[in-house]
Amino acid sequence: MSDLFNPTDEHRQLREMVRAFAEREVEVQAHEFDKKEAFNHALFLKLGELGLLGITVHPEFGGSGMDATAATIVHEELSAVDPGFTLAYLAHSMLFVNNLAVNGTPEQCARFLPRSCTGDLIGGMGMSEPGAGTDVLGMRTTAVRDGDHYVINGAKMWITNGCINDTELGDVFLIYARTGDHAADLSSFIIEKGTPGFSLGQRIKDKLGMRASPTAELVFEDCRVPAANRVGDEGKATLCMMRNLEIERVTLAAMSLGIARRCIEIMNAYASDRKAFGQPINRFGQIQRHIADSYGEFMAGRSYVYHTSNALRLESAGNRLDSDGVKLYCSTMAKNVADRAIQVLGGYGYVGEYTVERLWRDAKLLEIGGGTIEAHQKNMTRDLSRLPRIL
Amino acid sequence: MKILVTAKRVVDPDSKIQIADTQTSIELDDVDFRVNYFCENAIEAALELQDEHDAEVVVCSIGNEDAIQTIRTGLAMGGDRGILVEAEDEVLDGDLVARTLAKLYEQEKPDIFLLGKQAIDGDSNQVGQLLAEYLSLPQACFASNIDIIEDGAVARVEREVDGGIETIDVDLPCIITADLRLNEPRYASLPGIMKAKRKKIEEFELDDLELDTTLKVVTRSMELPAGRQAGVMVSDVDELVNKLKSEAKVL
Repeated sequence: MSDLFNPTDEHRQLREMVRAFAEREVEVQAHEFDKKEAFNHALFLKLGELGLLGITVHPEFGGSGMDATAATIVHEELSAVDPGFTLAYLAHSMLFVNNLAVNGTPEQCARFLPRSCTGDLIGGMGMSEPGAGTDVLGMRTTAVRDGDHYVINGAKMWITNGCINDTELGDVFLIYARTGDHAADLSSFIIEKGTPGFSLGQRIKDKLGMRASPTAELVFEDCRVPAANRVGDEGKATLCMMRNLEIERVTLAAMSLGIARRCIEIMNAYASDRKAFGQPINRFGQIQRHIADSYGEFMAGRSYVYHTSNALRLESAGNRLDSDGVKLYCSTMAKNVADRAIQVLGGYGYVGEYTVERLWRDAKLLEIGGGTIEAHQKNMTRDLSRLPRIL
Repeated sequence: MKILVTAKRVVDPDSKIQIADTQTSIELDDVDFRVNYFCENAIEAALELQDEHDAEVVVCSIGNEDAIQTIRTGLAMGGDRGILVEAEDEVLDGDLVARTLAKLYEQEKPDIFLLGKQAIDGDSNQVGQLLAEYLSLPQACFASNIDIIEDGAVARVEREVDGGIETIDVDLPCIITADLRLNEPRYASLPGIMKAKRKKIEEFELDDLELDTTLKVVTRSMELPAGRQAGVMVSDVDELVNKLKSEAKVL
């Protein structure tokens, strides 16, 4: 395997370990939890035992101290067998854990990270609202200072890990809220389950895909949060947000890679085996086009993702063009590859037993969640307009 | 207590195996490698003894320089240090492997030498037994359970034999080979992988060990098993019984 995808021996060992774990323990439950629309809490705790929940966190706070490429590898490998479960992993370990590790004070890290790295706490992040998604600065949730507290009012929507079952909130969240009149006056807060005024809104059911990751609306009504829970300076959360969006998008792109790889493996094996008109169907040009195009696009996306992750520094912003670019390219690539896999398998591809049906449903979410493809196009074009030459 | 344990690097059985043009070996490009399954059980057993008896676990492998990766896997699972004896597979047979491991025994003097009962590539199932013979040590092969008793003087080993379990006691030092049902090997956790980076691996060339390297077993040729023949549909029970009698001759 090329060094680009496993830059060090530790990365290679990590990939081998996660792949073995995924094939032995994640694959077997994927279909069932997708059908049940349920989060597999016991399996999530095993990720903690393997040191994956705090993959980018300093060992001082219970993490494994690895880099963006390590996180990319884990997401690719887990998503190849169960994207829904992987999305719950991403919301916890990237959106909450990594975000706090990068932006929190040592005191905040010490309070929340060790229990998050073991899985004793399940975390998530709240940015989107019922009326504000791509237009993130249009958010209306407010935080008003009142002595040693902030009073938070508003709602957050589409929050992965917002609940862990039909009735119970997740444990802890990073929530963005408005602290001033200017559009960019945003601050972020750590808000725990049990804080007065914080409750579970709608439990989002009947999703097309990613059904093994629980999604909910979070509601804040005069929710009083200690000022010590504010992450970063007041009004300066957009930088924290942007920093973390980069690793979020790269790992979401890695999830698309896992989906695409698995779909290619399945259609390749099927097309070698299945016969029509007296020969295996991979002898037919129409099928060859599905398989070869998919592989070429997958490897292009994979090279772009690892090229970007290898250059990504978790503590700084500045890779937005390519972190948007990898997700823009890979999400649609994986959706198309999954679609071709169904086409190659024909009727079998259309039913759950052959897995590509689930992967096709899961692939679609990645064109929407963590930034719609339209948001990536907007961001990238703006960044490119300041870049007259591409080096 | 000190435990020496083997970690053979083998072709992943899920890879598509092809015979090389020489017809005497496997094509090694484009296949994945992994730790021999039975060696994984041996390593897990060693690590459980490490926890219970504060043992030092030394992971050893004989193979080309890539075998260092299988040693690292053993260290990432929790082994303390490693030993690699560099040698290409073509210059080895089971007997030479046993005599090489005997040299490592002389050097390390472990209380227990744990091996997989066989490697899933060659399936020769003889290294543990030969090693015990060369070292004049007691052997307990195909272990499905290991208890150290009498203050570390004796290993009580359950062996899976035809029709049941045999329990034997062997004095330490001894040779034990692991069966699949001995345990469920742990994964190398991410912190384990990071720690393994800093663990020491000693490297030797096979020639350094001053062994007679003449092989007793030489591979002359390899061939794939014949493909299965297509089945036959029979129209009724009488025809089936008839065929079982006249063609299969099993009735």
